[in-house]
Amino acid sequence: MSQIKAFLTSRKIAPFVFLAPYLILFSVFKVWPVIQAVKISFTRFQGLQNQTWIGLQNYEALLSNPRFSMALRNTTIYTVGTLLVLIPLPLILAVLLNSGRVVKGTVFRIVLFLPALTSLVVVGSVFRLLLGRDGFLNSALGLFGVEPLRWLEVAGLTLPSLILLAVWRWTGINIMYFNAGLVNISKELYEAAAIDGANARQIFWRITLPLLKPTTLFVVIISIIGGFQVFVEPFILFVNGESPGNSALTIAVLIYRTAFLSFQFGPAAAMGVILAIIIFILSLLQFRYFGAFKKEA
Amino acid sequence: MNVPGRPSTLIRQPEAVLHLRNQRWVWTAVITAFFVVLAFLFLIPLYWMTISSLRPQAEIFSAGTKLLPSTATLDNYRRLLSDVPYPRWFMNSLLQSTGYAVVTVIICTMGGFALSKYRFRLRNPIFILILLSQMIPFHLLIVSLFLLIIELGLVESYLGAILPLAAHPIGIFFMRQYMLSLEDEMLDAARVDGANEYRMFFSVVLPNVKPALSTLFILFALEYWNNLLWPLIVFRQPQNMPLTVGIASLVNQYRVQYDLVMAGSTLATLPFIVLFFFLRRQFTEGFAAYGTGIEK
Repeated sequence: MSQIKAFLTSRKIAPFVFLAPYLILFSVFKVWPVIQAVKISFTRFQGLQNQTWIGLQNYEALLSNPRFSMALRNTTIYTVGTLLVLIPLPLILAVLLNSGRVVKGTVFRIVLFLPALTSLVVVGSVFRLLLGRDGFLNSALGLFGVEPLRWLEVAGLTLPSLILLAVWRWTGINIMYFNAGLVNISKELYEAAAIDGANARQIFWRITLPLLKPTTLFVVIISIIGGFQVFVEPFILFVNGESPGNSALTIAVLIYRTAFLSFQFGPAAAMGVILAIIIFILSLLQFRYFGAFKKEA
Repeated sequence: MNVPGRPSTLIRQPEAVLHLRNQRWVWTAVITAFFVVLAFLFLIPLYWMTISSLRPQAEIFSAGTKLLPSTATLDNYRRLLSDVPYPRWFMNSLLQSTGYAVVTVIICTMGGFALSKYRFRLRNPIFILILLSQMIPFHLLIVSLFLLIIELGLVESYLGAILPLAAHPIGIFFMRQYMLSLEDEMLDAARVDGANEYRMFFSVVLPNVKPALSTLFILFALEYWNNLLWPLIVFRQPQNMPLTVGIASLVNQYRVQYDLVMAGSTLATLPFIVLFFFLRRQFTEGFAAYGTGIEK
């Protein structure tokens, strides 16, 4: 008995005991489902019990599925669109907030951060109300003589609506990331540049921006990974994610709808595998070309 | 100090200095004014949600740009309590979020300790595998996880909602980084005093990582509180749903009952806004360490 106790409490065994709960859940709910997902992507379900191996048929069907190519296109446009706003805007705002030229800067930081605390379900519901035909946005634009726009009903405006929502939701968080990067830039560099007579614009382009590169990369990476998985926003903004002409159909929404509204598990799993491969390749490209992890590990 | 060849502000003419100061002041005013406008724009959605929840039902749609309701009323909240099981949803969210945060903090703290303060074979492969798992999109897993919880009999249960999300890669990464800074001498002192590894964990390690524990706890609770996708798959019965799934069921209709949705959304948003003002440091530290997508 005491031998067993001594064994279990030994320094050799303890780390495995500490790790056991995590590793058990990790294996059961991460590793195993990944393997299963790949397997399911090669099968056809008839009821929950009856599965037949059909090789690559699910993947082949996806190639000729217009909804899937639409979802790929929309998700890419959405991701690029959010990057175009959500990198430069928060970066500039963070630089301004750190410039000492803003009175009560903390108040603005807090206000811009508040959206990060809200549930995307709530955000989606509120934006659906705001963007409605007689909603606040159209009424407000009307004050400036702009004709009412059908934000959520016209194919060309649905993705911009999604991007607008994303800008509101993520600007504050990205400001916080850029701020963390800015604080780490040594004050002496700025002082030296000022002594050398550099103006604010030169300091921004020659010192701030180059030294923020790691932070910017980090924000770009998480924005791309998050953008490709966008789900709740289109799912709530449009009833069950069903947008006019599938104009705001994203990969994640299509996977959910295929799996849980049409109960086609095989095709849903195949799309999941493709989404995973896309995210994996994008992450690898970034590590390779920008060396995000070079300093660590 | 005057360095030859370098222009120094000290030799500028007094008028020029005054002019510069004026210019500086003007810029501060302009930039601050810009932020005031921006802050108002950013407050609109939260303001509109709250004020809509207080408008008479018929007015919510036709409010235009009216910033205040004709009469403020709590009718929407009354209907929220009588027409849908809102108190149940709120309790479910509270219990599931707390349960999720407790389970996840415990396993990530234990695991993070093993990965930071012990040397053993497979340590680095395990750590790298966990980091890589961060890249797995949750949508790859939803079908197999759904079939798995059916098989395990965990559909409609709190455990079914909590356990599949608990092996959190960022949680264990965060604890590992935090514990790397614990001093080995302190642990060795406890060992010399005769404490075994587990006693040492409880009496020496845990008291020294309290700030990390509270940061992670708040973040995980917020993450679950705001999560939709997995609870949406686990819960179909209204009495088991958390707030997000309940509100989503009200929104995902062609004729949305915005009176209920706005009142429900306001009540669902309030707790973490209030908590944020009390625990700002934990929130910002957590988010900063957190990085990758808090929700998917």
